[in-house]
Amino acid sequence: MKKLLTPMKNKIPQILFIFIFLIVQAYCDLALPQYTAAIVNIGIQNTDFQFIIDTGMIMLIMVAISALATVGVSYFSSRVSSGYAKDLRKIIYNKVLRFSNHELNDISRSSLITRTTNDVNQLQGVLGFIFTTLIFAPILGIGSIIKVFELQTNLSWIILVNFIAVIILLATIMVRVLPYFKITQEIIDKINKNAREILIGIPVIKAFVRQDFEENKFQKVNKEFYDVNIYVYRTILIMLPLMMLIMNIMVVLILYFGAYDAINNGILTGDIIAFIQYATQIVTSFLMIGGFFIMLPRFLVSGRRISEVLNTEITITDGEITDISTNPTIEFKNVSYRYPGSEKETLKDINFSLKPGKTTAIIGGTGSGKTTILNLIPRLQDPTSGEILIDGENIKNFNLKSLRETISFTPQKAILFQGDVKSNMKIGKNNASDSEIEKALKLAQVDFVEDLAEEVTQGGSNFSGGQKQRLSIARGIIGKHDFYLFDDCFSALDMNTERKIKNNLKEMKDSSILIVSQRISTIMDADEILVVDNGEIIDRGTHDKLVENCDIYKEIANIQIDYMEALL
Amino acid sequence: MSPRPLRRKPPEKPVDNKRAIKNILTLLKNHKWKLILTVVCAVISTLFTVIAPLLIGQATTLIFDGINKIIHNTGSIDLNALIHILIIVSALYMISSVFTYLQSIFLVEVTTKISYDLRERLIEKILHLPMDKVEENKRGDILSRVTNDVDSLQNGITQSFIQLLTAIITLIGVFIMMLSINIWMTLATIILIPVSFVLIVLMTRFSQKYFLKQLQFKGSVNGQIEETFTGHDIIRAFNQEEISMEKFERDNENWFVHEWKSQFFSSLNGPLMNFISNFTYVVVAVLGAVFVLQRVIAVGDILAFFQYTQSFTRPIQQITRVMNQIQTAMAASERIFEFLDYNDEENPSSKQISEIKDGITFDNVSFSYTPNEKIINNLSFDVKKGEKIAIVGETGAGKTTIVKLLMRFYDINSGSIKIDGVDIDEYDKDSLRSLIGMVLQDSWLFSDTISNNIQYGNLDATNEEITDAASQVYADNFIRQLPDGYESKLNEDTDNISHGQKQLLTIARTILSKKEVLILDEATSSVDTRTEKLIQKAMDRLMEGKTSFIIAHRLSTIRNADKIIVIENGKIIEQGTHEELLALKGYYYNTLNSQFNENIL
Repeated sequence: MKKLLTPMKNKIPQILFIFIFLIVQAYCDLALPQYTAAIVNIGIQNTDFQFIIDTGMIMLIMVAISALATVGVSYFSSRVSSGYAKDLRKIIYNKVLRFSNHELNDISRSSLITRTTNDVNQLQGVLGFIFTTLIFAPILGIGSIIKVFELQTNLSWIILVNFIAVIILLATIMVRVLPYFKITQEIIDKINKNAREILIGIPVIKAFVRQDFEENKFQKVNKEFYDVNIYVYRTILIMLPLMMLIMNIMVVLILYFGAYDAINNGILTGDIIAFIQYATQIVTSFLMIGGFFIMLPRFLVSGRRISEVLNTEITITDGEITDISTNPTIEFKNVSYRYPGSEKETLKDINFSLKPGKTTAIIGGTGSGKTTILNLIPRLQDPTSGEILIDGENIKNFNLKSLRETISFTPQKAILFQGDVKSNMKIGKNNASDSEIEKALKLAQVDFVEDLAEEVTQGGSNFSGGQKQRLSIARGIIGKHDFYLFDDCFSALDMNTERKIKNNLKEMKDSSILIVSQRISTIMDADEILVVDNGEIIDRGTHDKLVENCDIYKEIANIQIDYMEALL
Repeated sequence: MSPRPLRRKPPEKPVDNKRAIKNILTLLKNHKWKLILTVVCAVISTLFTVIAPLLIGQATTLIFDGINKIIHNTGSIDLNALIHILIIVSALYMISSVFTYLQSIFLVEVTTKISYDLRERLIEKILHLPMDKVEENKRGDILSRVTNDVDSLQNGITQSFIQLLTAIITLIGVFIMMLSINIWMTLATIILIPVSFVLIVLMTRFSQKYFLKQLQFKGSVNGQIEETFTGHDIIRAFNQEEISMEKFERDNENWFVHEWKSQFFSSLNGPLMNFISNFTYVVVAVLGAVFVLQRVIAVGDILAFFQYTQSFTRPIQQITRVMNQIQTAMAASERIFEFLDYNDEENPSSKQISEIKDGITFDNVSFSYTPNEKIINNLSFDVKKGEKIAIVGETGAGKTTIVKLLMRFYDINSGSIKIDGVDIDEYDKDSLRSLIGMVLQDSWLFSDTISNNIQYGNLDATNEEITDAASQVYADNFIRQLPDGYESKLNEDTDNISHGQKQLLTIARTILSKKEVLILDEATSSVDTRTEKLIQKAMDRLMEGKTSFIIAHRLSTIRNADKIIVIENGKIIEQGTHEELLALKGYYYNTLNSQFNENIL
């Protein structure tokens, strides 16, 4: 949790100001009942008009100072809490940008998004609350206690009794309700899950005419939620009236015992009035602090989730070599990879090389490790053991930026960014000209974009799957690279389009191409095909050779190529 | 898969206050009696709370007078009278607490029931909306209506109702009590209230400017975070880290600049109210003391006034706070009712259909989501009972749309689809759909046991029938290998079994449902080859003797079909058997031929 305080460091002077202003405010506010006591005890008792007016003037000055102090608190606490959120977001964002797939898989992307947005907001909210309540309440409480003792009554024990009553009340209710908070959360999750399921399954539900069935299922969860809610409310709502009752009874007790104190020890009416006000203040302060501790768990959860991100160790380190020779070769030497927390190795002893002018292909079933091999090349993650070499030099020794500049990368999932077609293409090459972009679009068979300024919505949701893949391919091939990596990115394309794009790829004849696929037709003309199963290369060679010798390849081929035989 | 309609929803409309209030009132109307009870309890509890300070004041006066007598040696405090008053006060407080509790319970029961009903209605609406309405809205957006919006509406109503109600009753009660003590003191204490009200309104309006601005930057910062983290691989692979960081810092800084101002100005209400209540306190102390000396009021009345002014400023603070909540609640209700106002899928006919005798005909069918882009264009073909028809064509050609039209997920614009010569529009939709089984590539299962998932096809199926269906589609084997066999639960993302296995389950489910007509979307490359083979065999088993529409990707399927239709841009460009199409030497022939030439075996 320590790292959460880092953004606070440059805000210490501002926080100090908040402190000072709060103390000033508390001092002024707490002085008022005492002056009232003086008015009653001296002014009224002695019929001293002048004294009353003078005291009133002093009180007004106090009120004015207090008002200024509160504005100061508002000013600084707004700045500090907004600034804290800003700096924290920046730190997290910067950190996550340097994550490798290793770390990303560990925490999950969607969770990282909520941590950077919601959890930071959550902390920011708490911060404002800390300044105005958690710091102020103790100051006010302690101040009131001091004032109570200054009044020199024998009534302080009443406050203590009330205190104990409040604590017992809070504790009993909390014990009864706390377990239900967790249950409520679980039911909320269930409701969400159920609603989402229905939403996704609409076509199936309609096809099977199961609307009533789904309604009944949802109703059951909904009812459960209703019942728990009612129970929790019934218990928790008793708190407020009882608190009020305890406070009010305290006032009654003070008056009763105050009367005896007046008879026996000669305390004055003004003191009793002031005592009532201070006593109320003490209990209120305590309740404010209690309220904070109810919120604390939520704050702790967010805090923990963010520190987890900040404490994550980044596994990828940058190298120094920036020079990479023209037409280099990449070699995998006994490369293995194991996901964090996984017992099984995703990749085992992978050996192969990518040579200039050659096309290498990887084929294998889902989960066989194809994508992982590909991700290791631009160092999106590092192997657990073994080495990847560029012209004999370990890729870890190369500068990351230089390394990645030599690589064109088209991932399996076509992800586009908000903006326009042009801005998305420029991700592939920062200084690409319009004609370069148009050429790349043409090579990738993007025939649906008329204007480079055409809008791309978040996630590219205004394009179909096949269209996104073609745009993503265009982005990958826009610059001149030494290595072209295509990760199963033809899957949403029909055979015709795929064939045309692959024909166009022949333009990159000096570079090495690595294609991952599950379709034989995509890879059959590669110079070398690696057949991957369960993280291991079980066979390699050309299509002709594999069709002869490799059983798994044969099996895949037989299914996929049957229609070509139909034509013979 | 057909492309999603390229339509986006228009930007959010501003909240129509009148309609929102009307909608909320309709919700409340159903709970009239409980709400009246709530109001009655609130009135009683506030009444008692309001009377109490007056008695407290009298007790104080008793003590003050007694002390005076002690000082002048003329007597002492009248303890009997004091105890008498204090007992009454205590009773008042207790009664008031009981009614406060009752009031909140009644109200919460109402609002919890309202949100229960709303969730129910929303789900019902989702289930009965026409398909295109479901697709038009983002999933997350609909979901947040069911969860977040219902929640904030409930909170809004609960909070605002309780607080507004007690605030108003308290204000009235306190005002009357203060008047009963002294009119001038009362005027002096409330004079600042209209002023503060105006100030608060002005301040809120002023801070609104910054609030909206910061909201805009917040949106772009959050959007960027989401995009960057989702597309992390690409950011890194293309060396975009620095550019991304720069853009982030710019927006983040802009957000901060507007946000802290927005926060500052809107938090100024606090200091303002604090000032007003302190100021009033001083006025009461000084003016009260003067009046006591003039024998207009008693000392205890000062204490009573302190308590009254406090309970005067608090409601005002509450009202301003409640205003924000009401805004949120109204926005939420707007979103909920906008959704509830959508028309249900129309289903005017109740004519049932239980079997196919002859066949299905598509006659000049056209369909489009929007007027200017035709998805399906003058499509005509027919299928005899028991025939298998393969639909082939490029991605986005409209293959899926054709079968969805048969399911009447969308209504066609012109032409007709007929079963045994009768337009399918004349049948009850549910009955029509019960005739047709569908196995799509996105296999939808729910997080329940495997057995229940298969049973979905026929809710009356026995265990034997379920295992039998699973065996028929070669799923029995893998199911039995799972730790709990048929009782194994699929987890929330249903990713504890493979994609291929999920497809086998959906096929089993369809087998169990014994449909007359089948719609099948063949697997493409997302499944590994061996599972694919199993799926293929399962699908063949499923199709035995059924009338089937297959969105086909595999030539062995296509070749074996009784009829092939080739679709391009929503039009049939060729149709016939495999041999006929080859003889035609058209698109079909060329497509296969080009594949063949390029990849010499």
